[in-house]
Amino acid sequence: MLTRRFLLASPTLLAAPALAQSDQRPVMTIAVQKIANTNTLETLREQSNVGSRTWNSYAETLIDQSWTGDLSLRPGLAESWRRIDDRTLELTLRQGVLFHDGRTMTAEDVAFTFSAERMGWNLTVEQARNLFGSVPGQTQGRTPPPEALAVARRTFPGLERIEIVDARTIRFHNRVPDVTLEGRISRNVAMVLSRDAFEKAGSWLDWARRPVGTGPFRVVEFRPDHSLVLDAFDDYWGGRPPVRRLRFLEVPEVSSRINALLSGEADFACDIPPDQIATVERSPRHHVVGGPIMNHRLTVFDKNHPHLRDARIRRAFTHSIDRDAIVQALWGNRAPVPKGLQFEFYGPMYQADWSAPRFDPAEARRLLREAGYRGEPIPYRLLNGYYTNQVPTAQILVEGWRAVGLNVVIEMRENFPQVLSREGQRGVRDWSGSASFNDPVSSIVAAHGPQGQQWQINEWRNEEFGRLSEALETGTDPAERRRTFRRMLEIAEREDPAYTVLHQSVNLTAKRRDLGWAPGQSFQMDFRSRNFAS
Amino acid sequence: MIRFLGSRLLRAAVTIVMVVTFAFVVLRLSGDPAQIIMGADAPPEAVEAFRAAWGLDQPVWIQYFHYFGAILQGDLGRSMRDGRDAIVLVAERIPATLALTLPALAIKVGLGIPAGITAALHRNSFIDRAVMMLAVAGFTVPSFVLGLLLVLVFAVQLGWLPSGGQDSWRHAILPIITLGIGGAAVLARFTRSAMLEVLGQPYIRTASAKGVPWRAVVWGHALPNAAIPTVTIVGFMVGSLIAGAVVVESVFSWPGVGRLLVVAVANRDLAVVQCVLLLVAMTMVTSNLIVDLLYGLLDPRLRNQPRRAAGMA
Repeated sequence: MLTRRFLLASPTLLAAPALAQSDQRPVMTIAVQKIANTNTLETLREQSNVGSRTWNSYAETLIDQSWTGDLSLRPGLAESWRRIDDRTLELTLRQGVLFHDGRTMTAEDVAFTFSAERMGWNLTVEQARNLFGSVPGQTQGRTPPPEALAVARRTFPGLERIEIVDARTIRFHNRVPDVTLEGRISRNVAMVLSRDAFEKAGSWLDWARRPVGTGPFRVVEFRPDHSLVLDAFDDYWGGRPPVRRLRFLEVPEVSSRINALLSGEADFACDIPPDQIATVERSPRHHVVGGPIMNHRLTVFDKNHPHLRDARIRRAFTHSIDRDAIVQALWGNRAPVPKGLQFEFYGPMYQADWSAPRFDPAEARRLLREAGYRGEPIPYRLLNGYYTNQVPTAQILVEGWRAVGLNVVIEMRENFPQVLSREGQRGVRDWSGSASFNDPVSSIVAAHGPQGQQWQINEWRNEEFGRLSEALETGTDPAERRRTFRRMLEIAEREDPAYTVLHQSVNLTAKRRDLGWAPGQSFQMDFRSRNFAS
Repeated sequence: MIRFLGSRLLRAAVTIVMVVTFAFVVLRLSGDPAQIIMGADAPPEAVEAFRAAWGLDQPVWIQYFHYFGAILQGDLGRSMRDGRDAIVLVAERIPATLALTLPALAIKVGLGIPAGITAALHRNSFIDRAVMMLAVAGFTVPSFVLGLLLVLVFAVQLGWLPSGGQDSWRHAILPIITLGIGGAAVLARFTRSAMLEVLGQPYIRTASAKGVPWRAVVWGHALPNAAIPTVTIVGFMVGSLIAGAVVVESVFSWPGVGRLLVVAVANRDLAVVQCVLLLVAMTMVTSNLIVDLLYGLLDPRLRNQPRRAAGMA
């Protein structure tokens, strides 16, 4: 029945669709292989390459990193920062920043982000030590799952407390000197989240699937294993987003992702292998963008294998890899061969005169002879395509190793836990190493140091390297840190190889040619207005 | 009839128990779910705590009896990855899968059976050869190839239909056709063979010799007798309604039971995999039971010869 109240309200009701129609901004669909490995959006749990793609659309850190520019650190939710001393960093918070729930970001929210409530500092070390992946459904209330503490400790190993100086100013106090604290604060784990929204969430899982941040887009719907819908947050401090809605759609098959793009269903298709570039670019309306990112593909060794125990055999592996052939054959020379596990954006820490082990089959044969290796099988646990071109790369590697006399046997596995499993004999495997900020602490220490995965699963340890890791983390003298890093490279890549670099990773994204969007030098995708050409 | 029905129900129950047992054993042989879900980095005490929490530290036979006892009480377990009840996760996906498989079943039956009958009635003619050529092509092309081909033509080249996703009814068209064509081809082959066999029987010749119109011979004598193998195949198709679209759902990014099963198997999410397999088994067994009953309706002789019917199934 029509009532007077209804009729009075009707102009508003009629205006609502009109307002919606007036929003001419496009809806963009991004076809991705996977949205989140853990089916959560909380970066304390989702520490994956695929998760990197979405988090910066719904949340932000105090210090931002210019992934689409010069890779420098730049103001994020903090307008500025200054060093008080080598253990203390003071940040001035940006004013007028709103969370997606409409609340203004406060210093208390920042403190909450690094608190025990979110990061689980109060969990026992036994519960959480070096735990990768667990079951969110097992947590009680809003208690984070155990790996939250493991990830938090790895990211902020020396963090003592956050001090709220005043409404605009906070200080990070570290127990030990740390010249990389600014870089650590730029990592996704440090995304600032709404304390109020956290407290209102029914459970940790509810929270982790709908975190409330300050990013240019807010989470509207997350359907695990299927899609993530983000709507523009028009009160975003950095300006109105140019896209009305972002839809991340999970399309596991490469060909289906490309078809989605070519048919107009998707505006972006991610994780495109180089051999599909021509297919995409046959369409005049589409092209492939992207290039090297701050990630290297590696082959890593298990030092406990009876034959790999001898460093000479591992060194033979490193000298029988024709990196240039891999890059040329599989990447069309788009992937550079790096100078070891380091990146140029390390600045003064970058060792320009370092290099990956040279391709020298004669040297490899000599080392094998010297070690008395007689062709005993060495297992190579391999996944089918987790990394782009993974299997073809493995085939080239195995043939190269075979040519010098290394008998490497591929063993296909379904997932990483099976690759890393202590059951049976581990030998060599694939991995990749990222640098999340501009210091080797973010890569060589994080992955291979005492808190790193290789060390923790007892795949590779070296006491001197362990001591140097700590020295690099807490050292403050630039020249001494540079020498330390150099020595770590010598140990992990030459003397007692933990890994060997293959090539820098390349991230290729197919997209509509008319979209003036720029790819970054990481897996992150930036949909803020600043990343679209006007 | 009661004895016939009773023996079928008993056999159905045994089949379900066997499937449940098989799924339970195979999943536990195929890798340690604790290690896979916790990750190889997890310290041994954390893995042990996980095993204790999920009862994986118990001897396998105790785990089995707990699992079986829970099933009898309607408890199909919780997802180790998600924390929610497995049946809830699966139930959420069933409508999406049925949205593909039910219309696809209609295509299979509506296209395959008439095509098979037509081919048989025009044996060795151009129509027969054309239908059989299409049928052979239909069931030899894998569904993922057919799916991609349809996408290339109707989504990429012509732009008539979406290539994937689940946003509207239009998104369902290509996956339904992909599923439907293969099944229709199988049905056409079986229907043709059955019809040809029946058409060669003496009673067909007798009916024709007696002057019964050919249409009546076909409808009254040939089709009912040729229906049994066709009904058997249709029964299998009905049985695969729940999880019969695993590949197609992946190709078309359709969030159904098939996608859930793939992800659950990869993650060794035992409860979810077991729940899907149990539902599939129950659907298949129920479908076969209905097919057995239909045998009796189609051929009264079989009501008293259940073994013969079973042999045909």
